Amino acid sequence: MLTACMMAVYFGFILLVAFNKPLLGTRVATGLSLGMLLGASVILVAWVLTWVYVRWANTHYDAALERLRS
Amino acid sequence: MSLGEPNLIAITFFLVFIGLSLGITVWAARRTRTADHFYTAGRSVTALQNGLALAGDYMSAASFLGIAGLVSLSGFDGLIYSIGWLVGWPIVMFLIAEPLRNLGRYTFADVVAARLRQTPIRIAAAIGALAVISFYLIAQMVGAGNLIRLLFGLPYESAVVIVGGVMLAYVLFGGMIATTWVQIIKALLLLGGATLMALLVLARFGFNPLALFEAAATKYGNGVLSPGRLVNDPIDAMSLSLGLMLGTAGLPHILMRFYTVPDAKTARTSVGYATAFIGFFYLLTFVLGFGAMVLLGRDAITRVDAGGNMAAPLLAEVIGGTPFLGFIAAVSFATILAVVAGLALSGAATLSHDLWVNVVRGGHANPREELLVARSATVLLAVLAIALGITFKGQNVAYMVGLAFAIAASANFPALVLSIFWRRLTTRGAQVSMLAGTASTLLLIWFSPAIQLDILKNESAWFPLRNPGIVSIPLSFAVAIAVSLLSPVGAEQEHFDRLERQLHLGVE
Repeated sequence: MLTACMMAVYFGFILLVAFNKPLLGTRVATGLSLGMLLGASVILVAWVLTWVYVRWANTHYDAALERLRS
Repeated sequence: MSLGEPNLIAITFFLVFIGLSLGITVWAARRTRTADHFYTAGRSVTALQNGLALAGDYMSAASFLGIAGLVSLSGFDGLIYSIGWLVGWPIVMFLIAEPLRNLGRYTFADVVAARLRQTPIRIAAAIGALAVISFYLIAQMVGAGNLIRLLFGLPYESAVVIVGGVMLAYVLFGGMIATTWVQIIKALLLLGGATLMALLVLARFGFNPLALFEAAATKYGNGVLSPGRLVNDPIDAMSLSLGLMLGTAGLPHILMRFYTVPDAKTARTSVGYATAFIGFFYLLTFVLGFGAMVLLGRDAITRVDAGGNMAAPLLAEVIGGTPFLGFIAAVSFATILAVVAGLALSGAATLSHDLWVNVVRGGHANPREELLVARSATVLLAVLAIALGITFKGQNVAYMVGLAFAIAASANFPALVLSIFWRRLTTRGAQVSMLAGTASTLLLIWFSPAIQLDILKNESAWFPLRNPGIVSIPLSFAVAIAVSLLSPVGAEQEHFDRLERQLHLGVE
């Protein structure tokens, strides 16, 4: 699930880079192109997904594993 | 410009780092008695420590000097590397870290071999792992030689010998304990140094990164903020990205670090820390790269090194003077040493644990013998690293690292993922996949424009892409699946059912 999310976000970004360069060159603010904004967002998404996974695994996944073990 | 002359401050920082790390090595050497200590630091590393060490193992000279240089010369294009190198980490976390920790002992081949037949798997995995390690070592050694020549004014060859010698001391005597601490210290120095540098750059722009990017666009045109010529061919861009993303999950020296923690939960948390540190560092490269572009200018950067690799040290001198240049030079050197030590250790584990103990000795070597073989393998690898560094003098560093990632993604990643998740994988399937992944990557690189046009100066290249990942990774998956389905082995599937509890639950 999360793997699919990460791959979708990243390859979505790369497809834009590969096929729609002018769009990514569009300015959304002074000094900030859409490409730069999305690039930084991919890093933030990677952070968030990792954090979500660690939280989920520490609370739910470990408990489920514990039940399976016993 | 004081680059290329012996810099007293740089040498002082450098000697302090070497002294400190050798002190740690002496301390670690007393604690390194068994093979378990040597390969995995006795599995006693905490999550935060391992997170920092993973970051230290991963952020190589290519990340720091290479990306800063690439961004400073071509703007946005360089950031594609920053982003691609980070997104591999969530993949490692979601798919690999925990099962790897549960089922393996010292190398990633342990996981594949545990459910299949030992000998063919170990040999195929060792070929893939050693190919990755060799190309990665070449990149680091060539980078180190050039860097030290430029920063300290030492001849290239002696710089390579110094790196090989110091690395040998760490790994030979201190094993994983010393390597881990060297990587932790390096990660802290690199993160601290890069943060300070980014703050000093931003101070010139009212602490507003957007003002910095705007200044870059004003100086060199709007093109620097959007994708440029690096991604002219869409298919090639996809191919590069695929290799960067999946390669991380197939790097032997990174995977090995998951064995240094006590359990799967700690492994998971350590990847969380590593992703945070590495992501933060790559965000800094945005500022450092554009900072160098604006404050130094492209001409000043290419005058010192055509590849742009000296952009970060040059920037340090402009914003912090010679003392800061000395500090950043020493940090860059520490960076290379820590990565080289991690590579050598994983190479030693492959040679002694996979090949000697499990193939030659059929799994019945005594621990003292295993440790002795591992140490001999370390010496061998140090000599090899020095020889490769001198032979490949003048090669493009970033390209060599890209090659290592492509092999890792094609040779190691498919077999590892399938052996964790796919019940019907057979020995023959995994073996063919690892060999086909390694061979196809090497062949496609050889026939690519990068070798045929740029290096051999031929008229045309048989394979149109510079990055082979988009062909070699699916190929490696396809042969593993096809071969396994064509000749299923019932006993291996039953063995997997028995191992599944250990793989996912971590119980014996």
